[in-house]
Amino acid sequence: MQIIRGAALAAALALLPGVAYPQGKTAPKDAKLYFITPRDGQKVRGGFWVRFGLRNMGVTHAGDDYQNAGHHHLLVDVNDPIDSKEPIPQDKSHLHFGAGQTETQLELPPGTHTLQLVLGDAKHYPFEPPVISEKITIRVRQPAERGR
Amino acid sequence: MGEIRNFRSGNHDEPPPHGSMPRRLAAIIVGDIASYSRLMQADEEGTHVRVKRIERDLIQPSIVEHHGALVKTTGDGFIAIFDSPVEAVRCSIVIQQNLVGRNATLPKDSRIEYRIGVNLGDVIVEPDDIYGDGVNIATRIEGIAEPGQVYISGAIYEQIKHKVVCGYESLGDRKVKNITDPVRVYRVLPDADAVARTRGRRENILIFLLGVTLLVIASGVLWYLLAQPSGRVNEQAAAPTVAPVASPSPQPPPRDAATQAPQPSPSLAASSPSPAPAPSQAPSPSATPLREPEMIAIRGGSFAMGSNDDPTERPVHQVTVKPFSVGKYPVTVKEWNECAAAKACGFTANGKDDAPITNVSWTDAKQYAAWLAQATKKPYRLPSEAEWEYAARGGTQTKYWWGDKLQPGMAGCKDCGDLAAEQPAKVGSFKPNPFGLHDMGGGVDQWVEDCWRRTYQGAPGDGSAWTGADCSSHVLRSGSWKNDSRYVRPSNRDGYDTNVRYPTHGFRVALSP
Repeated sequence: MQIIRGAALAAALALLPGVAYPQGKTAPKDAKLYFITPRDGQKVRGGFWVRFGLRNMGVTHAGDDYQNAGHHHLLVDVNDPIDSKEPIPQDKSHLHFGAGQTETQLELPPGTHTLQLVLGDAKHYPFEPPVISEKITIRVRQPAERGR
Repeated sequence: MGEIRNFRSGNHDEPPPHGSMPRRLAAIIVGDIASYSRLMQADEEGTHVRVKRIERDLIQPSIVEHHGALVKTTGDGFIAIFDSPVEAVRCSIVIQQNLVGRNATLPKDSRIEYRIGVNLGDVIVEPDDIYGDGVNIATRIEGIAEPGQVYISGAIYEQIKHKVVCGYESLGDRKVKNITDPVRVYRVLPDADAVARTRGRRENILIFLLGVTLLVIASGVLWYLLAQPSGRVNEQAAAPTVAPVASPSPQPPPRDAATQAPQPSPSLAASSPSPAPAPSQAPSPSATPLREPEMIAIRGGSFAMGSNDDPTERPVHQVTVKPFSVGKYPVTVKEWNECAAAKACGFTANGKDDAPITNVSWTDAKQYAAWLAQATKKPYRLPSEAEWEYAARGGTQTKYWWGDKLQPGMAGCKDCGDLAAEQPAKVGSFKPNPFGLHDMGGGVDQWVEDCWRRTYQGAPGDGSAWTGADCSSHVLRSGSWKNDSRYVRPSNRDGYDTNVRYPTHGFRVALSP
């Protein structure tokens, strides 16, 4: 009897659908995400600081489910559109700042790069509508010629 | 330096102490046929013809091809010298691998297998022979080599470790006959197959032990079900309400059977000590049949860690890893939920039992390892980053563990050749690497013990975890089913915030011996 019960419980668990995460948390209409530095078109050299600005919303840790708060994601050279049905990807071009960081030091190879900020909710999903910054373009110069 | 001995021939006198004696530094290969006298006894002429053919078709051309010189052939072996240790070892590997092919179709007792020893030393070269300590040491190393294997001395190893792309297993310092100082010996692991073969034997023993353990547990459950008074069943039924989600399987009965053994019928009491004889369970004092992750023992060894494919993987550096065990699969939902049921892990996971646990932070992973160690009284922990990469490479130095080209069925990733999925595949859905480990690359990202740093500049070479910095982020390995194939490479690495959970992050455990 008890085995049947156990089996039924196991079956019920297995049949649970992929447990849909709550997604598409709403964000205030006037929320604004932007770069403090660098500015669009700026030329930078070697390692440089990127500072994130956010207006009318708060920055919190990933996992903290507060209203009108989220955490930063920095997209480097990403061309794919942002999918609001999926968590923001985690890889070398989607940098996460789940500890509530509002700046980072970036090192990029010389050349032209794009940067864009996306705010994620507690579970790394974009908000609805997405809170994203303008996509800016920067030029990383060759490192200074030092005795080479 | 009067210690120069003759090589194998009893009647040579010491060469005259002449100033112009042709001494030189050389890499010396000594090869010798295993069980030569048995082969000769069985078929003297046939064996002789075959040996001569191998020497003519394989050994001599290989030596020439690698810019070496054949010094002499003895009845059952040969000696060759090389200017370059790298060429000497390459030549040895070529000879051994060709012999494997030649032997494949033959019955076991008529195979001709060579042992090969390689040493670097100062030798005296004469037209038809060479002399010196270096030759003797090479002979001794050859003597301890297993048939079909290449053993090298520490001197050779130091020269080639960054240059010849294969695994090296340290066999420690060996005392060799008539040589005062012990000689450090390494076994060369030229290809993935060779590693798998040695593992096979150990795996058979493990499977046998596992079978015994399962049998014992099964018989315990059977006893419990048959010999249980019906009153106890009600008591049992109440138990799942304490931890409803975490114990969906019929796992609890044996647990109770063991801990509450004294009360019920004497027959049950008699059955409860039975788990003890199973050797794998002996060290665990509480008889709780905890679901331990399946572990695979990894022999220590040395390898080139890192790659030049990404700035974070530079510089490539030599690392020596001590023996350890590592989970055959990433930790599963079922395993994780036992920790959650014990209130030692932060949350109860949904999902299939044999899916890898995901959405765990580094801190979560550490909590699980600490709980498992405490519950089993075994030193479970997270692997170090070096251990992870060593295990992931499985003795190979190719781009992926299976070679340089992407192949379907090997790893779970976005463009690895199988259908993209919403969820990670259940553990073990893809082929194991030469060490028998599944999902070392792709599947779920896996936390390791080390703090995240952007390069290997200053990394330790002893296989230990590199901790101690600003540890607000830790290292992730493997890449996930959502990443592309670049992330599946065994050298790929990334960092992530220590306390943040993300849906593709999981882990596997390691165990110190």
